[in-house]
Amino acid sequence: MTPLQIIFIIVAVITLFAAIKVVSSRNLVHAALWLILVLFGIAVFFVILSAGFFAAAQVVIYIGAIAILMIFTIMLTRRVARDSGAQHNSNWWAAAVLSLLLFTGLSWILSRWQGFQSTAQPMLESADPLRQLGEGLVAPGGYLIPFEVASILLVAALIGAITVAWERK
Amino acid sequence: MISGTFNPSMILSILPEISILVLGFLVLFFDLFLSKEHHDKLGWITAGGLGVIIIGCLLVIRPNESVLQTFAFGGMIRYDWMGFTFKMLFLFSAAITAMFAMGMEKIGKRGEFYLLMLASTIGMCLMASAADLIMLYLAIETTSIPLYILAGFITQDEKSTEAGFKYLLFGAMTSAILLYGFSLLYGFTGTTQIYKISNIIQSGGIPTELSFGVLILVIVGFAFKISAVPLHFWAPDVYEGAPTPVAGFLSTASKAAGFSVLLRVLLIAFPEILPYWSAFLVAISTLTMTIGNLLALTQKNIKRMLAYSSIAHAGYALIGLGSITYDSFFGMSSVVFYLIAYVITNLAAFGVVAAFGRVSGSDDIAAYAGLSRRSPALALAMLVAFLSLAGMPPFGGFVVKFIVFAAAVQANLIWLAVVGVLNSIIGLYYYLTVLKVVYLYRSEDEEKPLPIPRSYSLALGVLVTGILLIGIVMAPWLNLSIKSVVSLF
Amino acid sequence: MAFWDYLPIAILFVISAGLAAIAVGLGHLFGPRKPTPKKLEPYESGMNPFGPGTRRMPVRFYLVAVLFILFDIEVVFFLPWAVVLKDLGITGLVEMIVFVSILVVGFIYAWKKGALEWE
Repeated sequence: MTPLQIIFIIVAVITLFAAIKVVSSRNLVHAALWLILVLFGIAVFFVILSAGFFAAAQVVIYIGAIAILMIFTIMLTRRVARDSGAQHNSNWWAAAVLSLLLFTGLSWILSRWQGFQSTAQPMLESADPLRQLGEGLVAPGGYLIPFEVASILLVAALIGAITVAWERK
Repeated sequence: MISGTFNPSMILSILPEISILVLGFLVLFFDLFLSKEHHDKLGWITAGGLGVIIIGCLLVIRPNESVLQTFAFGGMIRYDWMGFTFKMLFLFSAAITAMFAMGMEKIGKRGEFYLLMLASTIGMCLMASAADLIMLYLAIETTSIPLYILAGFITQDEKSTEAGFKYLLFGAMTSAILLYGFSLLYGFTGTTQIYKISNIIQSGGIPTELSFGVLILVIVGFAFKISAVPLHFWAPDVYEGAPTPVAGFLSTASKAAGFSVLLRVLLIAFPEILPYWSAFLVAISTLTMTIGNLLALTQKNIKRMLAYSSIAHAGYALIGLGSITYDSFFGMSSVVFYLIAYVITNLAAFGVVAAFGRVSGSDDIAAYAGLSRRSPALALAMLVAFLSLAGMPPFGGFVVKFIVFAAAVQANLIWLAVVGVLNSIIGLYYYLTVLKVVYLYRSEDEEKPLPIPRSYSLALGVLVTGILLIGIVMAPWLNLSIKSVVSLF
Repeated sequence: MAFWDYLPIAILFVISAGLAAIAVGLGHLFGPRKPTPKKLEPYESGMNPFGPGTRRMPVRFYLVAVLFILFDIEVVFFLPWAVVLKDLGITGLVEMIVFVSILVVGFIYAWKKGALEWE
């Protein structure tokens, strides 16, 4: 195993554990903090994949903004953060069987692909992913339309958030 | 390196989207800078603007062969009859929805409502013409996020809030599964272009079970949009709680958008495994029709009943999808044709419910007693819409149901056509039950007037005319549907 | 950039986490602990604490956070664009102006509706 693979396995285990804690913590604030760890683990995956910009974006947007928003919304609720009800209902076994089936099914499907045996080409040293991303975003032959539509989506989300949350006088 | 030069004619291929955006901002500025007493005109501005856009698009950018390139913006957008037909359908239903929203007390005077609806319409238009998975996903989100808010628009009303929240949760979940499917598809094929995926699947030695497994993940996302069983359970709750015009919009335009994407992705990206997915869709279609119709039988609330009926109608449209064969365009065109008629008919049905609900404040079927005496015109519109939904001649619903069943028979799925006919009979029963209440039952409210605003009369008039037009003159509509699906390839 | 270029960041993380652990851990180890009920009360500037410790936050914080996310995402789009701006020329500039002006409309809306006011 290469050191990179060892790091990947360690980070994957930590991320998975944190993800389980997100859904199993009774205290919502704790769950939000575990979520930050999950998001950070994803950022490390981006680094392992040599996607430095996405790692930075992950930290800036997900940890810096979305996790904060979640903590804010937890604090907006009336009874802060403690869930005293049962954490699963009587159908939990059905969900477990279904998830297990889905997991084995997906693993089986994925194992049928030959692509896993071949190694991907390493990226060219001269290629600068950030420059390519910048060009791809605004080039008319690239992702110009999705880029502009993203701004429409953002404005719609902004107006929606104000509509939902703003108390009118 | 990605480049490509900018060509002014590219703008024309997204003209509908750009004009809707401009209209949306116009509405927003009217909302912000116009004094309050003029706010009841916002709906007319929206509807009128959409009408102008429809006429403009029909005049300027009908996709005739040589005018525009098929692929624009580096293959993000495909400009063809398929996209154009659906775009006009979305614009039309948005205009009608704006007219219905105008008369509603809590939403009609708020610019946000129209703006969000227009943003959602932009998303739908892009869904219908997207030829790239990234474009498609963004379009789906642009459609969905405003719809979540529209469903929960009346924040003082607990039912509406619940509807919005429920829709958001289920939508987010299925959209995550859809995105997972997209990412696997990209991982296996190395491209996000829908029109290149099929070649790579063929030449790259991707096993059938793999592409079918990925396709199922993708279908989950679309099945939610079209509310097919087993992803239908959100529909009744959301339709019941959401403002009635929004429920109408959800059950027509949003559903048609889901079908347009389903058609393109299935036929263009996965033609190799057609026998597999058509068999899968036949099973889903049978379930969807049967469960939708059976559950509709027991409903006491008209919006819930229409929700189940719209689930059943998704099942009928899926018959067409399941009947697609390699050697005929009939199955595919029957889906498009079905959707055209269904959108117009169901908009009318929800329009009637909105017109009645805004005065009486009740959506119970029992409250409709004596409607034929209170407002004969409204009752007549209801009669036309419901009989068309039930598939009675001479209305549009009859013709399209006939075509869809014929497609099933042509594809050697006679049993499926028989199931469809049996289901139509169940459907006829509960539609007639409502009409019986409307026409035969008496109530003490009969003397109370039922004022219908001008916008409702106009919209319902247009819709009823549309239903009759489809029912009586079917050739142009069928030709349009065939032209659309032929242009897909 | 190779993966190992991030090693300094990892070391920084380890050191800062270690320092924090040491600071808290040493206090735990060596600090005398003689708890009395008075000492265990939450510290509220020397006054007797009253009311629940956690109050509901006004919804304005939520709106500010949402606004922050939107403009955060905008910044993330800006960065790769700015790196190649020179090669993109005037089209790149115009496209970004379109992007920003759509967002500005949303901003004007938020402003006019008073979502940014803080009485």
